[in-house]
Amino acid sequence: MSVIAVLVKASLNPDMVRAEPDGSIDVSAIPLKISDIDRNAIEEAVRLKQRLGWKLVTVSVVTWGPVSARMKDVRLAVQESLAKGSDEAIVVADDALTPGDQTLTAKAIKAALERSGIKPQLILAGEATIDEVTSQVPGRLAALLGYSYVSFARKLEVEDGKVIAERDLEDYVEVVEAPLPAVVSVTQEINEPRPPTLLQIRRASRKPIKTFGLRELGDIGKPSRKLLEIKAIQARRKQVIIEGETLEEIAEKLIEALAKEGVLQL
Amino acid sequence: MKVLAIAYEVKDAGELAKAVKEFNGEADILAVSRAAEQVNEVARYSKRVYRLASKSPYAIYKALENLVERGGYQLLIAEGYRNLRDALSRLAGSLDLPMITDAYTIRILDGEKVLVERGFLSERAKMKVEVPLPAIVLFIPRFTEPLEPGEEGEVIELAPTEGPEKVLDVKPKAMGDVNLEEADIIVGVGRGFKAKEDLHLAFELAELLGGQVGCTRPIAADLKWLSEDRWIGISGKRVAPKLYIAIGISGSPQHMSGVQNAKIIVAINKDKSAPIFKQADYGVVADLYQFVPILIQKLKEKKAKG
Ligand SMILES: Cc1cc2nc3c(=O)[nH]c(=O)nc-3n(C[C@H](O)[C@H](O)[C@H](O)COP(=O)(O)OP(=O)(O)OC[C@H]3O[C@@H](n4cnc5c(N)ncnc54)[C@H](O)[C@@H]3O)c2cc1C
Ligand SMILES: Nc1ncnc2c1ncn2[C@@H]1O[C@H](COP(=O)(O)O)[C@@H](O)[C@H]1O
Repeated sequence: MSVIAVLVKASLNPDMVRAEPDGSIDVSAIPLKISDIDRNAIEEAVRLKQRLGWKLVTVSVVTWGPVSARMKDVRLAVQESLAKGSDEAIVVADDALTPGDQTLTAKAIKAALERSGIKPQLILAGEATIDEVTSQVPGRLAALLGYSYVSFARKLEVEDGKVIAERDLEDYVEVVEAPLPAVVSVTQEINEPRPPTLLQIRRASRKPIKTFGLRELGDIGKPSRKLLEIKAIQARRKQVIIEGETLEEIAEKLIEALAKEGVLQL
Repeated sequence: MKVLAIAYEVKDAGELAKAVKEFNGEADILAVSRAAEQVNEVARYSKRVYRLASKSPYAIYKALENLVERGGYQLLIAEGYRNLRDALSRLAGSLDLPMITDAYTIRILDGEKVLVERGFLSERAKMKVEVPLPAIVLFIPRFTEPLEPGEEGEVIELAPTEGPEKVLDVKPKAMGDVNLEEADIIVGVGRGFKAKEDLHLAFELAELLGGQVGCTRPIAADLKWLSEDRWIGISGKRVAPKLYIAIGISGSPQHMSGVQNAKIIVAINKDKSAPIFKQADYGVVADLYQFVPILIQKLKEKKAKG
């Protein structure tokens, strides 16, 4: 049976960043959540699975450790994918692989698929994650597997052994055709992700999640990136809420404040 | 050390040459896409310029693979266009190279490692990282001033390789003629607006202030109410006006990273717990449909008085 794989990352949640007064950030205190655009990738994968009758597998690599402290968040992200229609999940989790980098993530995904004996015809990913925003894991994976690669797809069709997609670029849209097997990264505009129903969520808990550690994957190397420092970009804003009895009064006060700042030229 | 800079737009050549001058001295350039169309301009920033008349990610990937293997380049640098992210991520996978994106600054350590500062957490933070050479580094757009152009260098023509991905059609996007990067005042619109017609409120306000209208990603990319040259944020434009007035915008990190260099930020939002109020200098908690017409009226009165 043909398989679609969808890549889902439990990313650091940028909305939950707390900085110390000196700007330093404790990454281990930031909760993980499913990376926003992976929801679009899942939605698209489920739509294709239903139309083509293929099997859908979710793959996730734990990037932020320690694994024991992170597994709850990772499981939530993966279970969301299972609830929406993925049939099973593969999770790579090993403290030796954290903090991960994109080089290692792509290799881990490849190794985990191979160990599971899965050769997907199509691999869907998000255009970028919310923590790293690199747009590089899908392209790396395509090169490692020797698949064709279509990035930034905002429309996707699969037929007769090929994908036809609209790639959304800075100043033009390109319609491309590429043979399967292929990796496709999707943009936020490709669809409107639907939240899973309660019944779907309940059923998901019975679907299999296979977990791989480094021992099962064999030698895939180490992260080559050394993290030296993480500092918040401090938004030093005045945060003044302008209040008044009426909207007219508020408007006047606002105009006055902006004039005083020297940013109004009327 | 041998550095190869990839220019996608003509302006990249001067910017990348400036950066290289500071950390290494010189770089060869690969000109692709629009930079290849105006290769003579690009050639004024390097002694050796390769020209690849293509914007296909596969062709760029294969040309680079060849250049790296034959030319001994230790560092590849470029700006983060979508086609280059595509091409370079494939190259990174194929040659097993580290690749760092969204870089602001770069330093070479002992000719062996590269130290980069980059955006992290949708640019809520900066990350300092070190990777071994050879490596790929992509900068945020317009990260530096361009270098003064010099004499034209030698141009070497490369032939594009056909890949598995075939282009069936190309549709240019409708672009306005705004230049938000130059604007002193920007009125930003978000999904708080209920219909395209209602945006006239923002245009009227912007005109009164001598400013431009910008927007969040869904307004341009999803709803297509405005052209994409007005899209501000991590995947759109980065702007630095004196005044940014955000109307009906929630304050997502991906949008706010594009306006972090604004001098003053004003937020108009009807939800007093919207995250944007923590990232604004002045906040007005009100329905935009009630407040903006009054603000326009008051500004007009003020203007009439002189
Ligand atoms: C990888 C990635 C890259 C992204 N890149 C970008 C980017 O470059 N730029 C960008 O903008 N986004 C980007 N996004 C999307 C971003 O996460 C947000 O979804 C988006 O910025 C939200 O836009 P918004 O504020 O217009 O809409 P919403 O978040 O829906 O906010 C609408 C706001 O309007 C307020 N409102 C509603 N009605 C009224 C009213 N009558 N009067 C006043 N206020 C009202 C609401 O209270 C709400 O706060 C990116 C996302 C990802 C994952
Ligand atoms: N750790 C990971 N596990 C699974 N998929 C990932 C992981 N990291 C990245 N991806 C996939 O690659 C896409 C782009 O990620 P990035 O290259 O980090 O911007 C994401 O949207 C995911 O689909």
